[in-house]
Amino acid sequence: MLTSLLYALKQRFATGESEFPELPEGARSLPVPTSEPCLGVECSRCVSLCPTGAIRIGDGVTLDRGLCVTCGACVEACPTGAIQYDRGVQTAALQRADLILRSGEPRPSRETLRAGPFSRSIDIREVSTGCNATDLEVAAISNPVFDCARFGIQFVASPRFADVLLVTGPVGRAMHEPLVRCYESMAEPSLVVAAGTCAITGGLHRGGYAEANGVLPHLPVAAFIPGCPPHPLSIIDGICLAVGSPVAEVRT
Amino acid sequence: MIRTEKREVTLDDWDTIVPARTRAGKGRRYGHLTVRRRQDGVRLVEALILDPLSECAEVVCAPLPPACQEFPSLTPSLPAAHWAERLIGDFWGLKARGHQRWKSLALHEAWPATEFPFAVVSDLPLRPREYQFMKVEGPGIHEIPVGPIHAGIIEAGHFRFSCLGEVITNLEIRLGYQHRGVESRLTSTPLQHMRHVAESVSSDSGTANAIAHAEAIENLFGIEPSSAARSIRRMALEIERIASHLGDLGGLSGDVGFALGAAAFARLRGVALGLGQTLGGSRFQRGLVCPGGIAWRVEDERFSVLAESARSLRESVREASDLMLQNPGLQERMEGVGALAPHLVTEFGMVGPTSRASGGNYDARSIQLSAAGLAPATESAGDVLSRARVRAKEIETSLDLLQYHLSSDLDGPPRVELPERLPACRVGVGVVEAWRGELIHWVTTNEDGSVNRYCVRDPSLQNWTGLAIAARHNLVADFPVINKSFGLSYSGNDL
Repeated sequence: MLTSLLYALKQRFATGESEFPELPEGARSLPVPTSEPCLGVECSRCVSLCPTGAIRIGDGVTLDRGLCVTCGACVEACPTGAIQYDRGVQTAALQRADLILRSGEPRPSRETLRAGPFSRSIDIREVSTGCNATDLEVAAISNPVFDCARFGIQFVASPRFADVLLVTGPVGRAMHEPLVRCYESMAEPSLVVAAGTCAITGGLHRGGYAEANGVLPHLPVAAFIPGCPPHPLSIIDGICLAVGSPVAEVRT
Repeated sequence: MIRTEKREVTLDDWDTIVPARTRAGKGRRYGHLTVRRRQDGVRLVEALILDPLSECAEVVCAPLPPACQEFPSLTPSLPAAHWAERLIGDFWGLKARGHQRWKSLALHEAWPATEFPFAVVSDLPLRPREYQFMKVEGPGIHEIPVGPIHAGIIEAGHFRFSCLGEVITNLEIRLGYQHRGVESRLTSTPLQHMRHVAESVSSDSGTANAIAHAEAIENLFGIEPSSAARSIRRMALEIERIASHLGDLGGLSGDVGFALGAAAFARLRGVALGLGQTLGGSRFQRGLVCPGGIAWRVEDERFSVLAESARSLRESVREASDLMLQNPGLQERMEGVGALAPHLVTEFGMVGPTSRASGGNYDARSIQLSAAGLAPATESAGDVLSRARVRAKEIETSLDLLQYHLSSDLDGPPRVELPERLPACRVGVGVVEAWRGELIHWVTTNEDGSVNRYCVRDPSLQNWTGLAIAARHNLVADFPVINKSFGLSYSGNDL
């Protein structure tokens, strides 16, 4: 008992000071098209290396983060830096279309909803339908470093207690019905957040016989958090964005 | 490098020869079982047998006649194959004749009972899939169904408890809810993209899956990565192991009400993921490993940062582990709970830290460990406490291995270039000690170098049965900690 107390005191505070710090130098994170010149269709190295077809070359580079699995192959292959890693963590969006980024265009601006009644008290039911990576990062938001509780976020054991349904994974056939039943058990008003690329489009698993094409075929989605897996800070950002919390204002 | 040999037998001899082949030499073991369709349309039942001490593998196969609906079950003499046979039933519609618990494994009500993803029209007719939960009867027995959606942040799966009061008399585990069709996808994905799909099998073991895939492809070609690339891959694998075991120790702490331990280990897991960030650029080291070696050159500075971080992590881990494992209250919650008898480990071909906590000593890294002067971590009581202790010991061993590789020559070409097409009519096997245990990727190619069959054997496929048995006679309230102490993958099992 005393040992535990002394250990705890020794740890001091683990929580990061700034809310959404950038990822460290050299991090291989979600890419972003830059203003560097793209060599165009004659090059197309990024297009052929992308395992999910997330990239198009037309007038510059178009990247759909809703399909991106953060493998880094495009960034590694690009000869001009027309696509690079983006160390910012506030990557969530309210509209599916806002996950599509184009060279030379400013990032879609994020319209935070007017803070609603939930914005400081967010009870989440998590449903996992995938490979576990995003689940691990969702679990990490409760740890002392990311400490989601300071934003009013907590996880609950039943959809009956929840305001937000946080879904990870591509939602294969066997989870179609359980997922919908879980949502229908939630009292109104309720929101669905798709965490991770699989939940947005099915990612690497889409278009197969298992019908694992993400959440959209089954439920309306209030916020999309891209990444494979998304960083815990991005998950916090996405949840806060979905409920209109002022925490989700973009820090520049 | 694993050399693979093939042996063809008749279907009549199948259930005598295969078990005999698993015993045909020291250290030989059953790996996996599946069915594939040869290019001429003939279905073959195939068993993969591993010989880790000689670094080779044997594929024993038997052709199935055209209208065939069944094959002789190996389960009566080789129980380790019992789930693999049920998977064959699900995907091919073939029955393992003589299997004592025949029912579907991964495809249940969401799938029409006559839809078999790998069967074709000429295989028909096939018997429909069925599933009945085992019923325990008697005064006072009640059933508790849990899942697929669970109360915590955990993958989907169904547990059907039959209880007498608070005590579990039987637990039936029914999975398949995470089935995404990964094996089928790996068969049709272009070679350069396969490694990304391979990582997604069970992404908390993404590095292990990427290495098993890379090695299977390299073994098809008969090439090896540079020793520097191999060392970097092994470091990445150990980082994944450290982070996962720390996460499990935190989860175990939480499940016995030790909130301080849960917080401490969650933080330390983050530090370990930071090692991954340093070496591989992201917390899960995504995209680092590829067939031929590693996908990019790792800058030298990263190695010195890694060495320093690993040193300070070791100190912190020791402190937190002692706090947890030497706490009398926690010991009482974990000692004698969820005991897994050693004979079950052998009979069901169980792998990983769970098997080693019940006295097993198989670790797919054996050769590598001895080269570094290390040994697999083992315990004998097979309870939750033993499984926690094995993890704590393995973290130390992994830190030792990190140090060992960091002091080896890390200067070398990141990758060996591979031809664009896979070689014709070959078999490649990759075996890795993932943090849950022995993981196998098994690839067979066609005449034109396309993939004929891609098989993944996650360690969890072998271990779920052990959990179901170990839970018996324990309190329902202890199930979360028992489950966590096994720490199995649902998605790796379901594929």
